[in-house]
Amino acid sequence: MTLTGQVAVVTGGSRGIGKAIVQALCKEGAKVAFVYKGSADAAAALEAEVAAAGGVAKAHQGDVADPAAGERIVGAVLAEWGRVDILVNNAGVIRDKLFLQMEAEDWDAVLDTNLGGTFAFCKAVAKQMAFKQRSGRIVNVSSVAADHVNAGQANYSASKGAVNSLTRVLAAELGRRNVLVNAVAPGFVETDMSQAVRNMAGEDNLKKLIPVRRLGKPEDIAAVVVFLAGPGAAYVTGQVITVDGGLSLGAVSG
Amino acid sequence: MTRDDIFAKVRSTLVDALNVDDAEVTPAARLKADLNAESIDFLDIVFRLERQFNLKIPREDLFPESIFSGDPKFVAGGKITADGLAELQTRMPYADLTEFRKDPRTDKIEDLFTVDLIVRYLQSRVGSA
Repeated sequence: MTLTGQVAVVTGGSRGIGKAIVQALCKEGAKVAFVYKGSADAAAALEAEVAAAGGVAKAHQGDVADPAAGERIVGAVLAEWGRVDILVNNAGVIRDKLFLQMEAEDWDAVLDTNLGGTFAFCKAVAKQMAFKQRSGRIVNVSSVAADHVNAGQANYSASKGAVNSLTRVLAAELGRRNVLVNAVAPGFVETDMSQAVRNMAGEDNLKKLIPVRRLGKPEDIAAVVVFLAGPGAAYVTGQVITVDGGLSLGAVSG
Repeated sequence: MTRDDIFAKVRSTLVDALNVDDAEVTPAARLKADLNAESIDFLDIVFRLERQFNLKIPREDLFPESIFSGDPKFVAGGKITADGLAELQTRMPYADLTEFRKDPRTDKIEDLFTVDLIVRYLQSRVGSA
């Protein structure tokens, strides 16, 4: 186990990629506080599952789009566990529409969660990591869609591109205090969030776009998050690691 | 609180914030040039001083770096103008500008941020509290 005794905070932790990240961090010995918005049953089930495996995961309800949520939840974690070694900003939403049909509300909903939530949670841990601990890891879950765009995702792509830029700036500012900040950019992953896209495109068609010929599993992403949070990544910062089975290579095969 | 008391607390604060030895923290030591402080360290120092002295240090109060962000009234040809020097003295009454006035180059401003500057600032704050 590489993360024994460490404390992690994971947003969007009850389902999909976030759930796999919670499980993987716990498996490495970290105590994990995870944030969920609406899936109370899934959150409780995950807590129980981790406990049964001998780990510690605690659910915190909150909406990362609420600017106060970061301080409140990180404050609660610090009060209970005294430190935060790892922050994973994973909570994300899509609201796909062609730009001409996209309303300000669609834009704000996606930006407030994907970018605003990342800002607020980074802000909430930054002083603790930089000034008190002089160490920390932040991993932001981005998307290949930041650079390899899809029509209908102006809001989502913009939010993820901004997350990548935020990741680099924080890495530059906080490196002095041994706080390392990186991002993971998944491709097509089998989650509820990508279900609609997968249904529309057809999984066989999607697989043709992916050199390894399968969709990603949440565990594929979680493994790289664990690496970036762990001792092996001690000299990695400001990077966006693409984890997409080669999708972004654009090498269509027939 | 005596000046010595303040200095002792400032020294321990800087030792913690900057990972330097007690002996390095002399009154004349410059935070950047001698103690290797970077901008993030200045923030840390302010937060630590606030806790140590139980007071609020408004942004730009102790280290008003933004005074000279290129305003032509205050800066010209890489030097601080007469107006700029007056402004600096107003904003930092606790700073000793004697040396700086002789050659007021913008790249020398950071040399004003010494350990003694912090002590004088805190004397002005603790004294008036």
